[in-house]
Amino acid sequence: MAAYNLKTLTDKPERLTGGHRMCAGCGAPIVVRTVLRALKPEDHAVVGTATGCLEVSTCIYPYTAWKDSFIHSAFENAAATVSGAEAAYRAMSRTGKVNGTTKFIAFGGDGGTYDIGFQSLSGAMERGHDMVYVCYDNEAYMNTGIQRSSSTPKYADTTTSPAGSDIPGKVQFKKDLTMVMAAHNIPYVAQSAPFRNMRDLYEKAEKAIYTPGPAFLNVMAPCPRGWRYNTPQLMEVVRLAIDSCVWPLYEVIEGKFVLNYKPRKKIPVVDYLKPQGRFRHLFTKENEGLLEELQQEVDRRWNRLLELCGEA
Amino acid sequence: MSKVLMKGNEAIAEAAIRAGCRYFFGYPITPQNEIPAYMAKRMPETGGCFIQAESEVSAINMVYGAAGAGARVMTSSSSPGISLKQEGISYMAAAELPCVIVNMVRGGPGLGGIQPAQSDYFQATKGGGHGDYHLVVLAPSTIQEAADLVIEGFDIADQYRNPVMILGDGILGQMMEPVEFRFSNRRELPPKTWATTGHTGERPRNIINSLIIDPQALEDHVNRIYQKYGHIMKNEVKVECCNCDNADIIVAAYGTTSRIVKSVIYLARQEGIDVGLIRPITLWPFPANEFSRWADRQHVKAFLTVEMSTGQMVEDVRLGVNGKKPVFFYGRTGGMVPEPSAILEEIKKVMRSVMK
Repeated sequence: MAAYNLKTLTDKPERLTGGHRMCAGCGAPIVVRTVLRALKPEDHAVVGTATGCLEVSTCIYPYTAWKDSFIHSAFENAAATVSGAEAAYRAMSRTGKVNGTTKFIAFGGDGGTYDIGFQSLSGAMERGHDMVYVCYDNEAYMNTGIQRSSSTPKYADTTTSPAGSDIPGKVQFKKDLTMVMAAHNIPYVAQSAPFRNMRDLYEKAEKAIYTPGPAFLNVMAPCPRGWRYNTPQLMEVVRLAIDSCVWPLYEVIEGKFVLNYKPRKKIPVVDYLKPQGRFRHLFTKENEGLLEELQQEVDRRWNRLLELCGEA
Repeated sequence: MSKVLMKGNEAIAEAAIRAGCRYFFGYPITPQNEIPAYMAKRMPETGGCFIQAESEVSAINMVYGAAGAGARVMTSSSSPGISLKQEGISYMAAAELPCVIVNMVRGGPGLGGIQPAQSDYFQATKGGGHGDYHLVVLAPSTIQEAADLVIEGFDIADQYRNPVMILGDGILGQMMEPVEFRFSNRRELPPKTWATTGHTGERPRNIINSLIIDPQALEDHVNRIYQKYGHIMKNEVKVECCNCDNADIIVAAYGTTSRIVKSVIYLARQEGIDVGLIRPITLWPFPANEFSRWADRQHVKAFLTVEMSTGQMVEDVRLGVNGKKPVFFYGRTGGMVPEPSAILEEIKKVMRSVMK
C-alpha cells in the first residue's frame, strides 16, 4: 500500500459527483466519496442503496450523481439486492459473459441497516457474497423527519422519542451493530468515521473492497438536522465522538480485533454531547445523573473493546 | 366541545386516543409521520403505549399481539409500508382480531413517490394479503370525517372482530381543517370474552389461531367468516349522494377526489349540465345498490368514475351499474391531483358521446 496522501487521492475523479441534494454539513456524502475513492480507477462498481437520504438525494430520476452502476430497491433490501447482483456477476464471469473487475458495494443508513435491513444484511454476510456493506450511521431516520432508530443513542431527542419533563428522550442505549457484525465471523469488519484527513476511512474501505468475501463498515455520519449542530462543525463533532471514545475506531480482521486510534487524552462524554441540540435537555441540574450514566456506559464499552484488542 | 384546527394525521391520532386506543405500533414513512410522532408524545400522557418497531412487519405483528389480548390498538403507514404489513393483516383477519390500520396512500407502484394517490384501492378492498378475507375500508374526505370514522372504526372492528382500514392519502394527512372529537354513534359492544387475558383456571382457555390444517375445519372457518362479511355488507354501507335527483351524469369519487368533484358540480351547472356525485364512504362494503338504484333512473345518462389511479374503483362501479348505463373513467396518477377544469372537460366529453 502506498503512503496515504489525501491531496493526491482527491485528484482521482469523483465517483459520487457534486450537484446531488444532500444537506450542507451532512456526513453521508463525505463517507461515500471516501469509500468510492478507495476503488482502483480501472475497477467498476455496482452500488446498491437502501431507501434513505442518500438514495433520495442522489438519484432523483432522471438525474444521478453516481458514476458507477446504481441500483435501489426497497428500504429493507439493499444487502439482498446487491447479493443478487454479485451472484449473477459470479455466474456470468464463470461462463465468460462478463470481463474485468466489478466490485459490489451497498450503502444504507442506520434505519435501513440496524433495523429494517438487518435481516437481509445478516443473510448476505452469512452467505459470503464478495461485497461490502457500508452503513452511514447518522443515528436516526433522518429522511422521514428524525425518528429514533436502534442506533439512536440513549436520551437523544427525536420526533418519536421526544424529550419531555418525564421521559428524557430515547430510553434505550444504542445497539452495538459493529460487534454484532463481528460475530458473523466474516473476513473484515470495521468501525470508522470521516476523521481528520480521512485516512482511517480510506484505508478501511480499501481493505473492505479488496478483501475477498463479505465485509462490513460502520461509519459515523453526523446529520446537522437531526443532531442539531452548526453545519461547519461536522468534522469537529466527529473528532469529539472519537476523542471521547463514544465512537472508537477499530477493525476486526479474520476475527482479530485491532484498535486503530487511542486518544492521547480521553475527553469527557459531555464535551461531545454539548454542541448537539438533541442532547440539550440533559444539561440541567436534575439531569446530571443521566450524563453520568452515559459516561459510565461509554467507559464500559471502551474498556471491553480495549480487552478485545489486547490493549487493556 | 369546541373545534380545533388540526393536521389530518394528528387529528386521526387524537381521535384514536379519544376512542380509547391505548396501544400504537408504528414505523416511519412519509406522508404519515405525524401520526407516530403525535402518538409518541400523547400516549405516555394517557398511560398508553407507543412503540416504534424496527419494521412494518414487526409493527403489524405487535398489533396482532395486543389485539389478541383484547386491547384497542392501531397502526399507521403509507402504501409501501402497508404492503409489508399484508401478511400480518391476513393473519389478523383469519384470527378475527379487531384493530384499526391507517393507510395514507402515496403514489406507486414500487417506492413510487410521496405525493397523494388512490392507487391502493384494490389492495385495501380486495384483500391485499393472501387468502379469502376482507377489511372494512373507510374513506374519509374531510379531517372531521376522518376523526369520526376513526372513532367509529374502532367500534366496527370490535363489533365484528375484524381489522378496519382508514384509507386516506397524503393530502388528507397533511392538510389542516377544524375538527371536533364527537361520539355520535357509539355502539353497544359485546365484551371481549375471546381475548387471551389469562384464564386463571376459571374458564376454558381462549385460543387465537389462524392455522387450521384440517381442510373441512378450515372451510367451515372461512364460511363462518364470510357469513360475518354478509352481515357487514348488509349493515355497514355508508355513502353520500349529492345532487343526484335530476342529474344528467353521476360522478363516482371518494376521499380527496370527491371534494374536487363537489366544485365541479357548480362549474358544470354554469354550463347547463346537471352533475351528481355518489361518494362511497365505505369502500368495502361497497355501496353497489346505490349505483344500481341511480342507474335505473331515466335522467341519468352515464356514470363517470374519477380516481387518482389508473382505474380501480371503476370496476366496482361497473358491477353496481351492471350494464344499465355506460360507465366512463378519468384518472390521474403518480401524485398528480385532478383539476376541476379537467374533470369538467371529461364530463362534457362523456355527455357529447352519450347524446349522439
